[in-house]
Amino acid sequence: MFFNSLSFALFLPIVFLLYWVVFNKNKTTQNAVLIVASYYFYSCWDWRFLFLLVFSTLLDYFSAIMMENSMTDKKRKFWLWLTIGINLGFLGVFKYYDFFAQSFADLLHGFGFQTNPVLLKLILPVGISFYTFHGLSYVIDIYYKRITAERNFIDYSLFVSYFPLLVAGPIERATHLLPQVKIKRHFNFEKAKEGVYQIIWGLVKKVVIADSCATYANAVFDNYESMNSLSLILGAVYFAFQIYGDFSGYSDIALGTSKLFGIDLLKNFNYPYFSRDIAEFWRRWHISLSSWFRDYLYIPLGGSQGGMWMKVRNTFIIFLVSGFWHGANWTFIIWGLLNAIYFLPLLLQNKNRSNMGEIEMGWNISSVKTILNILGTFALTTIAWIFFRAKSMTEAVGYIQKMVTDFHFDSQYLSNERYNFELLFLVMIFVFVEWLNRTKVEPLSGKASWIKVTLAIMALLALGVYSDYKEFIYFQF
Amino acid sequence: MKKFLTKIVLYTFFILLIGNGIAWLSLYFIGKSNLYKPQFVKNGVKEKHFDYVVLGSSTGLTTLDTKLIDEKLKTKGLNISMDDSALSSHYLMLQFFYQQQKTTDYLVLAVTPWDLANENPVLNNNDYRFLSERNTTAVREYYQTIPYEGFPVLKYATYFPLVGVSYYNTELFYPSLFTILKPEKRNRFDEKGNYSYPNLGAPIQAEATTTAMQFNNPYFKKIKDFCQKQGITLVLYQSPLYKNSVKSNAKDYFVNHSDFISVDSLFYDNLHVNSLGRTQCSEDFAVQFNTIRNANRK
Repeated sequence: MFFNSLSFALFLPIVFLLYWVVFNKNKTTQNAVLIVASYYFYSCWDWRFLFLLVFSTLLDYFSAIMMENSMTDKKRKFWLWLTIGINLGFLGVFKYYDFFAQSFADLLHGFGFQTNPVLLKLILPVGISFYTFHGLSYVIDIYYKRITAERNFIDYSLFVSYFPLLVAGPIERATHLLPQVKIKRHFNFEKAKEGVYQIIWGLVKKVVIADSCATYANAVFDNYESMNSLSLILGAVYFAFQIYGDFSGYSDIALGTSKLFGIDLLKNFNYPYFSRDIAEFWRRWHISLSSWFRDYLYIPLGGSQGGMWMKVRNTFIIFLVSGFWHGANWTFIIWGLLNAIYFLPLLLQNKNRSNMGEIEMGWNISSVKTILNILGTFALTTIAWIFFRAKSMTEAVGYIQKMVTDFHFDSQYLSNERYNFELLFLVMIFVFVEWLNRTKVEPLSGKASWIKVTLAIMALLALGVYSDYKEFIYFQF
Repeated sequence: MKKFLTKIVLYTFFILLIGNGIAWLSLYFIGKSNLYKPQFVKNGVKEKHFDYVVLGSSTGLTTLDTKLIDEKLKTKGLNISMDDSALSSHYLMLQFFYQQQKTTDYLVLAVTPWDLANENPVLNNNDYRFLSERNTTAVREYYQTIPYEGFPVLKYATYFPLVGVSYYNTELFYPSLFTILKPEKRNRFDEKGNYSYPNLGAPIQAEATTTAMQFNNPYFKKIKDFCQKQGITLVLYQSPLYKNSVKSNAKDYFVNHSDFISVDSLFYDNLHVNSLGRTQCSEDFAVQFNTIRNANRK
């Protein structure tokens, strides 16, 4: 059941009414409705993986209690590593085993040994990377005594399986979400209205921007050998907007949906393509994952405490792990590495925290510099996205090679029976709307909101891609 | 809570009203144009009777040039084929053609072995092109009865045009804006309904195979019955396939061009000929069709 599907359009109002009208008696009944709805939501993909979700919930729940009850550090450590081991073990088997087996066989082949690796070819349980990290943050926080273990199993189950964030985040923190599920929620008109606006804007990003861009990006990437420089550049730009519209659109729908139930989720995107340097980009893109890596990997590794070498080493580790988190493919690892390389000059000059505030614009030289910085950062991320999108390293390298050596910039007719530049106008309108609203959560609220909402719905109906249905990219992670 | 639900309901009603109004207008303008084949048959074709019509999918559309055949045989033909369609759509097109008070002596049905073998036909990609004609009996029945893969968009679009126009917005909404200004514009076919692929492209190399025709598609029988009822002579036509020879035990007249062309440069891809290939096929078809006509007269 996808957020942009008809089944979700039926599912959401039913759960909403059950939650606020039928089972609104107390916090336990509210949570029970959400748990049942979440399990149903998850089982719509593959009910067999529900067992994995329930197991993961039980494991983290009991481990946390055992950890808290342990009298010695040794025991606490035991429970921590047991939980981390089992959680990452599942992730490793389902997501990474085949990659390692194949890579090892390829390595041996390079030395002249012929091997036939046993590949499991398992279906990846949807959302496993998200809920595993979700649970890990909880047990690590318990270990470091930042929070106390949750004793109410219903509340904890909801924290893990809450359907708006279950399959593609945001990766929540116990400190943020658990206190909200532990109290009875009361209906708030303004919050619900904000939620609806955010859902509509998320749908615009997904169905209008991402899916339109996907049509063009696919046509270019799938036939990159016959494309000219202009088409390849546009293909990469379209993919940049596809992945942004797709993932941030998903996050907006998740956050908006959650607001309908009176629960706030962590912000996951903050207009990342208006970043002035790559460090700022990573503070604005997939914020819940970046901050997860910062808090649970970068800082435990020593963070920036051990001098420049330590900082550089830890930064590279973070980006490589982040790339690997996205998928078991060398393309993702190179994507991570590339971002680490982009980050390096800022780190060496101690400028990685120089663009922390909002983007101020005026008619002066500094504004020109800001715009150039934004364009430069966008260009760098777009090049990195080529690795993210390509099916193999050969394809990614071939794509970039052709892009910078072809030197033909004429309009090209694509396999989707459209011209390469046709979508630019829509992308530019989208950028303009986002730019004007870059200080807001979404552009629909504020003055004349009903006109803006009507326009957004009209855009959904007139510009949305429905006949060529595309899944959310991040569901595969 | 009550205020929220009331606002949601009122707003949804408002959007549905406006949206359906726009969608209705959109289909109205398409219905007045020559844009797609159904509208062309209704508005762009003035003649009432034809010696033959070519009906099929992209192979029928791009292989037989009715202009060339008419020039050779001094006949009156029309190509009512529609790309990305199948026998179910052909049956609908044939019914629709007759509902427009148009008739033909011969139906040249361009078939493919895999479509004929398909026991479970479903909605085809371009069936939405009939949506502006949803009030005709044939179209309405077709949209109600054809199995859908996924949500039955066209079934509901019969009553709520918004569903269909937004789902097929690129194919229906935007073109409808053009049809307001240029109702005579046709979507990639000439005044006789023909289209040809350019002399570009090439087939992908393949092993030579033989395919036997199997007549499992229920719509084939429907077409045959319709022809019998209307006194139409059915002629099956198999267009050239790259290195694929089709064998048939059909009892109908059958012009088999499956292995008629063996030169790679006459193919656009493995299933379609290019403009040069079309000329060769049309000329040979004219000869064979003339023989059929003569035999049929006796």
